[in-house]
Amino acid sequence: MLQNVVSRVQNQHKWWFFIGVLFVVIFFVVPICRLVFLSFSSEGGFTLGNYNSVLQDRSTWKTIEHTLYVVGGSSIIAIILGVIMAWVVAYTNIRYKQLLQTFIFLPFIIPSYITTLAWTQFMSKDGFFAHLVSMLLGSIEPLNMYSLQGIILVMGLSHYPLVYLLTVSVLRKIPRDLEYAARVSGSSKWQSFKKITLPLALPGIASGGFLAFISSLDNFGIPAFLGIPGNIRVLSTYIYEQIVGLGPNSFERAATLSVILGVIALSGTAIQWLLLKKSKHMETAVEDKEPRFLFSKRTRLTIELLLWSFLLVTTLVPLLSMLSASLIKAYGLPFAPENISLKNYQFVLLENQKAITSLKNSANLAMVTTVICLVIGTAIAYVRTKMPSLMTKGLEMIIGIPYALPGTVLALAMIFAWIEPIPGWNPGIYGTITILFIAYVTRFLILQVRGSITAFMQVDPSMEEAARVSGSNGFYKWKQILMPLILPGVISGALLVFLTALTELTVSSLLWSSGTETIGLVIFNFEQAGYSTYSTAFSSIVVLLILLAFTLVAILQKLWDRRVLRHEHSD
Amino acid sequence: MSTQIKNVEKRFGSFQALQQINLEIKEGEFVAILGPSGCGKTTLLRILAGFDSPSSGEVLVNNKLVANETSFLPPEKRNIGMVFQSFALWPHMNVRDHIRFPLKHHQFLNEDHKSSIHQRVDEVLKMVDMDHLGERMPSELSGGQKQRVALARAIAPKPGLLLMDEPLSSLDAELRMGMRKEIQQLHHVTKASIVYVTHDQTEALAMADTIVVMNKGKIEQVGTPKEIYSSPTTPFVASFVGKANVIKGKWEGTTFSPFDQHSIKWDGTAVTEELREKNLFPARPEQLEISYHADGVKGIITNVQYQGKEIHYTVMVEGEQWVVHQDVFTKFSIGDEVYVHLKEWHDRRNIGEKNQLLFV
Repeated sequence: MLQNVVSRVQNQHKWWFFIGVLFVVIFFVVPICRLVFLSFSSEGGFTLGNYNSVLQDRSTWKTIEHTLYVVGGSSIIAIILGVIMAWVVAYTNIRYKQLLQTFIFLPFIIPSYITTLAWTQFMSKDGFFAHLVSMLLGSIEPLNMYSLQGIILVMGLSHYPLVYLLTVSVLRKIPRDLEYAARVSGSSKWQSFKKITLPLALPGIASGGFLAFISSLDNFGIPAFLGIPGNIRVLSTYIYEQIVGLGPNSFERAATLSVILGVIALSGTAIQWLLLKKSKHMETAVEDKEPRFLFSKRTRLTIELLLWSFLLVTTLVPLLSMLSASLIKAYGLPFAPENISLKNYQFVLLENQKAITSLKNSANLAMVTTVICLVIGTAIAYVRTKMPSLMTKGLEMIIGIPYALPGTVLALAMIFAWIEPIPGWNPGIYGTITILFIAYVTRFLILQVRGSITAFMQVDPSMEEAARVSGSNGFYKWKQILMPLILPGVISGALLVFLTALTELTVSSLLWSSGTETIGLVIFNFEQAGYSTYSTAFSSIVVLLILLAFTLVAILQKLWDRRVLRHEHSD
Repeated sequence: MSTQIKNVEKRFGSFQALQQINLEIKEGEFVAILGPSGCGKTTLLRILAGFDSPSSGEVLVNNKLVANETSFLPPEKRNIGMVFQSFALWPHMNVRDHIRFPLKHHQFLNEDHKSSIHQRVDEVLKMVDMDHLGERMPSELSGGQKQRVALARAIAPKPGLLLMDEPLSSLDAELRMGMRKEIQQLHHVTKASIVYVTHDQTEALAMADTIVVMNKGKIEQVGTPKEIYSSPTTPFVASFVGKANVIKGKWEGTTFSPFDQHSIKWDGTAVTEELREKNLFPARPEQLEISYHADGVKGIITNVQYQGKEIHYTVMVEGEQWVVHQDVFTKFSIGDEVYVHLKEWHDRRNIGEKNQLLFV
C-alpha cells in the first residue's frame, strides 16, 4: 500500500515539473531566442550585417548619446533625492513619516506618462509654475519640457522612490550601536556617518541606483511624450519608431537594437542583483524605526517645511495643473469659473468610441492578467519556497527576464514569437487582443511571483507542518491555514499586477491593433494629436481609479490586521 | 502504538546527518532524545513525523513499514501529533479553532470523538486548563498559554505517537519548570507514546522513561535517566549529561589512579566497563572535593564562581581544567595550591568516623 501511495505522488511531481518547464520554455525562453536569432539573420542566412549597418548609422550613435544623457542624468537625480529622503525618514525625528512616505511613493504608483502630462501642464506658458514664479521672482520662462532636461527631470522624479525604498530599509537595518561605537571611539557625527553608516549603506544605495538606471533605460512613456515632438530619441523610442515606421529591414534593425538594449539592461539587472545580495549579508534581521538624530523643534520645522513644499510641488501641484487643464472648455483658455466644464470628461467617457473601448480593454486585460498571474505566480512561489533548488531558482530568474527587459524589446520578441509560433503556421494571435494577454502575463508574472514569495516567506514552515500532522494536506490546509496567512502579501502583489497592466503603455503601443486599444495608448494618441484637454481628462480619471484601488486595498488590509492581530480583548 | 527505527541513515548532500540509528519506542513510553544542536535529533524527529525520508533504513509502526529509502508515508497519513518549538499557532484562528482543526481532519480519530467534536474540544481545553480562554486569539495569549494550546491541539485527536520538538525552549526558566509537570501529567492521562527532543539534560532526566543521547548523527547511549546520569558508557555522555570531568589515568580492577599517580587510588566500582577500557574516569563536579591536605591530585585554582548554595571552582590539574562544586563553608581563592580528591571515598571515611562516635 505504501509503495502505491508514494510512488504515485512522486510521478505526479515529475509530471507537474515537466509542465512547468515546458510553460517557461514556450512563453519565456523561445521568444527571446527568436529575437536574438532574427538580429543575426538576413535573407541569405546567418549574418552580422544587421549589427554592422545599425552601428554604422549616425542616428544610432546620436540616439545612444541621448540615452546616456537621459539615463545618467535621471539616475543621478534619483540617487540624490532618494538618499536624502531616505536618510531623513529613517534617522531623524520629523513627524508624519507615514504620510510623507505615501507622497514619496505617488510618482511610483502613477504611470510615468501621466506624470509627464502633469508636468507639461504645470510648466506650460501660462501654467501654475509660471504664475508661481512670476509671483515670487518676477518673470522667468518656465522650463521647456520637450527637451533633454525635461525628460531627465521627469524621469529622475519618477524613479527616486526606487532608490528611496531600497536605501531606507538598508539604513534602518544598520545597527545604531555601530555608529555609537564610532562616536565613543572619538569621531564626530559627520565622520561616523562618512566612515561607518555610508560604507555600510553603499551596496543598498548602489543597488537602488542601478534599479533607477534600468528603469530609465526601460522607460518609454516619458521620452515618447516629450522626446518625439522635439525630435529627441532614446533607444526605447528609436526601436518603437523603427517598427511603426515600417521601413526596409525595419524589423531586423529593430531586433538588432533590441538585442543591444536588452544586453545593457540585463547587465544592469545582474549588477543590481549582486549588489543587493551583498547588502543583505550585513543585515540584521529587524528594521530599527526609532529616530537616531533628534533635531530641536525649530530645525525640525524647517526641515519639514522644506520636505513638504518639495513633495507638494513635485507631485500634487503638477497633478492639480493636469486636473485644471482637463476642466477647461477649450485648450488655451485661462483657468476661470466661466471656462470650467465637464465636457472633456463627457467626451472621453461617453462619446469617443476609442476611449470607451480602451477602458473596457484595459479593465479586461488587467483583470484576466491578474487572475492568471495570481494562480500561476502563487503556485510557482509555493514551489520556489518549498524546494529552494538551483532548478527552481533558475526558473524564477527566467520568469524575471521579460520584466527586466525594456518593454519595447519584449513587445518585439512577442511579435516574432507569436506571429508564427511554429514557422509556417499563423494561428492569428498577432493582431488580436490575445497577444496582449500573452505579453502581459509574460511580463508581469514575476511581480506576482515575488509578492507571493514574500508572503510565503513570512509564514513559518511549521504553520503548514502543524496542519499536516493534524491530518490535512489538501483543500483544507490551503483554505483554512495557508490562504488566510498569505492573503495580504498575495493581494499586494496582485494589486501591483493589476495597476501595472491597467495603465500599461509600452508593450501595447507596439502590439495594439484597431479595436484593441488600451488606456495608455489612447492617452498617447490624444496627446500626439494635440488634444491635451482630452488626454488630461482621461489621465485624471485614471489617477482617480488608481487612488481608489489603493484606498480600497489599504482599508481591506487594515480590517484584516484588526481581525488577526486584535490586541485588546473584552472579557 | 510501537515504533521501530532500523538502521536509519540520512544524508544531505555530502553531510551525514544520521548514521546507523536503531531505536524502539514502546507503547506508552516517554522517550527523550537528548543532544547538542546539530546532533541530528531534529532530523530523526522529522523522519518519525514523515516530513523527511531516510536515505537508507526503515521505520516501522506496529510492525508495518511507513518509510524506507524509496518511499514514505506523509505526516497526514500517520497517527501522530506534534508540538513545535515555535508553537506554530495559526495567528488567524482562536483557541477553540486550533483544537477543532485536527478533530475535523485527523485520519485516525475514533468514531466517538468524530460525532462529538464540541465535547472533545471542551474536554481537551479543561485538560490543559484553558477552558476559560477558548475564544482568544494567539496574539492575546502569554507564552505559557500558547504552549498549552499547542499541546492541546497535538493531543486532541488522541494520536498514537506524540512528537515534541524542544517544546519548552522558547519559554522562560520558571515557566519551563511548571510546564514539565504538566507534560508529565498529560503523558499519564493520555498514555500516548511520546518522543521528546531536547538539548536540556535536566528536562530529559526529569520527564523521560528512556533517554537517547545523540552526538554527531549517532546514538551514544540509550538507557533510563539513572543509567545515563550515573553510568555513562561514553566520554560524551559523561560530560554532556553529568557535566563530568573526564579524567585520564590507569585502572587496576576497580581502582583508578588519575594521571598514573600510583599513590592515589579512587574507588570506581560504579564506572562502566566501556570507560574503563578507555582508561577514563568520569568525575562529576559534585563527586570531587578540594582541600589543602596533600592526599589528592595537586592543582591550582584558576576560577571561582559563587553560586549561593555552593561555589564552583575551576582547578588546573596537569594542564587540564577540572570543575569542582563545593559547599560555601571553606573558601579557596584564585592561585591557591590545592589537592583534589574523590568524595565518595571521603564519605565512607566520614561514615566510619560517625560509627566510631556511636561506639564511644
